[in-house]
Amino acid sequence: MHMNLNHFEATVLFALFASAVLGVVSKSTDKERLRYGLRSFGYFAATVFGLGWLMYLGHR
Amino acid sequence: MSDKVVTQFPPLPPVSRWIAPVVVAWLVPGGGHFMLKQHYRGAILSASVLIMFVLGLAMRGYMFEPMSGDLLTTLIYTGGFIADMSAGVFYFMAKWFGYAAPDIAGHTVDYGTKFLVGAGLLNILAIVDAFEIASGRKQ
Repeated sequence: MHMNLNHFEATVLFALFASAVLGVVSKSTDKERLRYGLRSFGYFAATVFGLGWLMYLGHR
Repeated sequence: MSDKVVTQFPPLPPVSRWIAPVVVAWLVPGGGHFMLKQHYRGAILSASVLIMFVLGLAMRGYMFEPMSGDLLTTLIYTGGFIADMSAGVFYFMAKWFGYAAPDIAGHTVDYGTKFLVGAGLLNILAIVDAFEIASGRKQ
């Protein structure tokens, strides 16, 4: 089996699983864990979009 | 002068109380949480680490071997080896069954390497969490 992911797919998958683990291990109640996991995923996604645009504009 | 001592953390409980969950958490990602009756958290941790590790293998990620040389090489290869090995039984099975891919250039292989390292690092977080639960510092 060989898998080819593009950069966006790889970063989204990485962000998804990293956020899930960060949410599970960080807070003390389930509600807080869910919120932290979602917030963490949002930060990952925002960073990917921000750096993506920065690199795109930097190479124009 | 006051003789009151303020400690940031409670004293470390006996090793026998937390060593088993910590070792199980390392060998079987999520296993420490299952042992501590944190089933759904263990399931999420186990699934996350396993899927990331399998994705890393599927992308032919490189598994680091300890290597010495200049400081940066030593740091990267030894650190990468420790992170890879932190995935526990997944790492050992992949090695034993010959899934360790050679280090070749390419962006997909590079993503795979990061996924393998990331799976191990996430399991280190799970191990620390299992330790804190077992030692009574966290619920």
